[in-house]
Amino acid sequence: MLEIRDLRVSYGKELVLDGIDLDLKRGEALALVGESGAGKTTLGLSVMRLVEGQIRGNIRFDGIEMLKASEAELERIRWRRIAIAFQNANNVLNPVHSVLDQVTEPIVFHGLMDKYQARGRASTLLGYFGLASDRFNAYPHQLSGGEQQRVLLAMAISNYPELLILDEPLSALDATSRSEVGKLIKMDGDCTKLIATHDLDTASKLADRIAVLYGGKIVEEGQASQVLSRPRHPYTRALIRAYPNMTTVKDLQAIKEGLTRPGSGCPFHPRCTQTIDVCRTLAPETVTISDERKIACHRGGIITRLTTSSISKSFGLIRAVKSASLSIEAGETLALVGQTGSGKTTLARIIMGLCQPDSGTIYLDGAVANYSSKNFYQKVQMIFQNPGQSLSHRLSVLQAVTEPLDIQNIGDRAERRAKAMKVLGEMGLPQEENFLYRYPHHLSGGEMQRVAIARALIQDPVLLIADEPTAFLDASNQARILKQLLNLQEQRGLSMLYITHDIAAARKVSDRIAVMLEGSIIEEGPANEIVTAPHEPYTKRLICSASSLHSSQYSGIEQAPV
Amino acid sequence: MFNKHNISIYAIAFIFILMLNFILPRMMPGDPVMAIYGNEALVAMTPELKAQLVERFALDQSLWQQFVAYFSGLFRGELGYSYYFNAPAVSVILGRLPWTLLLVGTALLISTGLGIVLGIESGWRRGSKTDRTLLSTLMSLNGFPDFFLGIILLIGFGVTLGIFPLSGALTPYSGLSGIALMMDILKHLFLPVGALTLAYLGGSYLLTRNTMITVIKEPYMLTAKAKGLSQRRIEYHHAGRNALLPVITRTGIWVGKIFTGALFLELVFAYPGIGYLTYEALMARDYPIIQGVFLVVAISVLLANFLVDLFYSRLDPRVRHAY
Amino acid sequence: MHINIKREIRESSTGKAGIIILVIMIMLALLAPLIAPCNPYHQSPMSLLPPSFSHWLGMNHVGQDIWSRLLYGARTSLMVGFGTGALATLIGTAAGISAALIDGLYERIMMRVIDTLIIIPMIIVVILLSAYIRPGVITLILILSFLSWQGGARVIRAQTLSLKEKGHIAAARTFGASRLYIAWRHIVPDLGPILLVDFIYNVRRAIFLEAGLAFLGISDPNMVSWGTMMRDALSYSYLDAWRWWLIPPGIALSLTIVGLTFIGHAAEPVIEPRFREVGIA
Repeated sequence: MLEIRDLRVSYGKELVLDGIDLDLKRGEALALVGESGAGKTTLGLSVMRLVEGQIRGNIRFDGIEMLKASEAELERIRWRRIAIAFQNANNVLNPVHSVLDQVTEPIVFHGLMDKYQARGRASTLLGYFGLASDRFNAYPHQLSGGEQQRVLLAMAISNYPELLILDEPLSALDATSRSEVGKLIKMDGDCTKLIATHDLDTASKLADRIAVLYGGKIVEEGQASQVLSRPRHPYTRALIRAYPNMTTVKDLQAIKEGLTRPGSGCPFHPRCTQTIDVCRTLAPETVTISDERKIACHRGGIITRLTTSSISKSFGLIRAVKSASLSIEAGETLALVGQTGSGKTTLARIIMGLCQPDSGTIYLDGAVANYSSKNFYQKVQMIFQNPGQSLSHRLSVLQAVTEPLDIQNIGDRAERRAKAMKVLGEMGLPQEENFLYRYPHHLSGGEMQRVAIARALIQDPVLLIADEPTAFLDASNQARILKQLLNLQEQRGLSMLYITHDIAAARKVSDRIAVMLEGSIIEEGPANEIVTAPHEPYTKRLICSASSLHSSQYSGIEQAPV
Repeated sequence: MFNKHNISIYAIAFIFILMLNFILPRMMPGDPVMAIYGNEALVAMTPELKAQLVERFALDQSLWQQFVAYFSGLFRGELGYSYYFNAPAVSVILGRLPWTLLLVGTALLISTGLGIVLGIESGWRRGSKTDRTLLSTLMSLNGFPDFFLGIILLIGFGVTLGIFPLSGALTPYSGLSGIALMMDILKHLFLPVGALTLAYLGGSYLLTRNTMITVIKEPYMLTAKAKGLSQRRIEYHHAGRNALLPVITRTGIWVGKIFTGALFLELVFAYPGIGYLTYEALMARDYPIIQGVFLVVAISVLLANFLVDLFYSRLDPRVRHAY
Repeated sequence: MHINIKREIRESSTGKAGIIILVIMIMLALLAPLIAPCNPYHQSPMSLLPPSFSHWLGMNHVGQDIWSRLLYGARTSLMVGFGTGALATLIGTAAGISAALIDGLYERIMMRVIDTLIIIPMIIVVILLSAYIRPGVITLILILSFLSWQGGARVIRAQTLSLKEKGHIAAARTFGASRLYIAWRHIVPDLGPILLVDFIYNVRRAIFLEAGLAFLGISDPNMVSWGTMMRDALSYSYLDAWRWWLIPPGIALSLTIVGLTFIGHAAEPVIEPRFREVGIA
């Protein structure tokens, strides 16, 4: 019923919407998700042609060309077939008229009812949205923010429009009111809704589909539940990671800083961690990557870094790894959880090329992994359990960290030193002389492991394989390192294969968890699903016996029979 | 608004005016009777009359007793005795007051009303030819002193074109009644009201226009447009209704200005209201009349201000329900 | 307020027009003694003469040269106008700033005084006083200033109250600055545009009142004033004399006031940037 094609809106020199294509079917609810200033409100206003700036493009509502319609036609359509519930700000309601009058006004004006009947309907609507009846004749300034929001909603649907545009409809309400009013909005099934919000909770509860807006373009679009649980665009994923909610178990991560509106190329490229050259110069087209999903990304969305395909390895009679298949996306952490002897370390070594599999293939960035090229080891690095052993006691900190560069013969001495300083800084280590020339046995366990990580980072890898990196460290150092690893992911888009026996730590840093038992990967899925609703009995046992500060057992998960 | 601050202000203003009225003549050098009645009157007074007056107004008593006498006189509705008119000041003043009220009231209504409408239209179409024309015309008009406007109108329409009568409130001794009388009064009223209106039109116009400009930028204007309402409805019911408010507040002050403007214009048109009375009294040094008029006008203005404040709270719900 | 008030006025066409008018008037007033052909006070038996080469606007009813009286009238009007304007703005500023900076009883009393004076129609008081005193230029300036400062005071107080909360003033207080120092160094400069607009409107009101009082005949009869000229001319309105006797002072008076109005209007956007006119206004 609503078709938007190549919509461009600018205010003077500032381009707010840069080529929007959107379709809305009758009866469906689409959420426009984005941060402030992304252009959601402008898009909503454009549909009713209420923007003050320059508009180009095509908006077709039920066959009517909105941008070419006359002012008289628009006046007939506005609030009769399309209505908008504005974001609740100061003075959106006229201060000198009572709220009942303001809700009644459009009903009477569009000739639908006489004044008496209209007031009746207005009262019903206000009551429907939960406004106390003694407040009907109040003036806007006498009502609380939540009450004003209810008035705005009632006013919007006063003429039962075919298309309803909602701008942050629940923002002014407190938590309990939100669910109450949210249900009311959702109950009206016939009405087509366009919801502009920055709040992912609102989007998930009210919408069937989501379109993610960034830098004036739609970067991802698809089924609401799908987009939120399996985002395909780097921005959408980052947005979800930054949003505090009761579903996600991983710690909050911010989005890398960068220009929000670069002059050219993909609008997200300054903050994206998987850019390639073309991202900087050319804006990506929107492509349909699956049946319900559209994405605008030169790389087709979040790319897959590593895939292991049916890897098997036996040591004599012991089958260490049985047909293990995994994949890790760019900028994602996959935790491989299992007990000692489950095969996880073997699998890691196979991935790193330190051990040859009996069968199966490893793919890196889509191509078969070639361990004889320098390329592989520049991109994939490993962090071992025991830093005391992985760092040579002959080499000073500086020498250890620059070793990879020395081996690969990259840059001259000064450049190597500069890079070393940079990665040491990233790991929060001092960069002064007396530290650079210190030897590992003079460092603490935590410091050593951080030096090892710095060493791993110096070639700017895209994947880190961390094999129980905090096994030899105390809790505080473990926490510090885990947080630093999350930061690295945030800033560099680093993928991680995090190998551990500790599922409690795993869930804090991983997006997905794979559980390994006796060489097989028995269960795998998003971290929050594995942790709250595991299928396998073994997984359940793992969770029950994981560290807990509660004296009784982990709530909600029954103890599976041993 | 019935709050303490406002009531106390009106009370203080009232008392101040009474005091001023009392103190002024007594501050003049010389004989208080002379100060109150003026030189010319005294010359014509016999000593007995003078003694009577002294006794009547307690002029030979202490200041405090005089004050008491003054106040009690006021309560009884006595404002002194006009020598020039040979009648109690009160009756002279009350006789002339209705004409001035007619003049001022009509001018106030028309200038405020028209000013508001023009201001709304102008503000709504800001920058357009209509707006610019109205703006420059009314601003220029605003610069003309009311008495000069009156003079121009008098000379233009009265003397030269002879359409309107040159003086008075009605044709004397004409024996008209009913509709014919009303028409006669209106004919005489036309030029003075015209001058007064034109002189004060600018004030309400400019204020309304300025307010419209700020109101148009408010969020609820977008809401009104989104409702698909007609331009006229948005302009008046939504914007205009808000733009009214400051003008109404100021109306109280303008009443004072229009009253004094009436003073000048009654002089120009020899219109028999309080203004002309004041002038006659000023020339004749008839101080009781002058003081009486001052009192009446000042109190009228205060009353008008008070009423406007009351009325305003009905218009602006934010004030009415201030908590 | 980074907007330059001088630039604002100069850039609007109304502002420019206003300044031109005012400058002309000031020049005429200043140069009056030099360019007036006759002594404005000197009476002669040649009364009610129409304009001629030696007397550009003719003679009035007591044989005085109208053109010379017109020029000297400008002096009177402008002197009273600017004198009152300056004094009234000064008093208003002092009252407004002090009411805003000094809390407690002083503020409450001052506010009562200001609001009371605003409500009382001062023109009537002025008329009453003048009727008794028959003021000349200096007295007139004093009377008018003391009875018209209150409007500006209220606005200044409101503005000072909001300025007071700004960071740099709070900072100055932490350095131990006295209120006088703060008023002088911080508040007055920021108030600049408002003070200028207040001054302009005070001048305008004073010029209007001076002419009005003269017209009523209650100011000093020896003062040469446009108001007096109009009053005298009015009583001879049945003659043609009004053309060169009544109209010129009226036009001169109106022009001066309109000029000031224009300047004031052009200066307003400095205080309220939204009022800046689009296009020519």
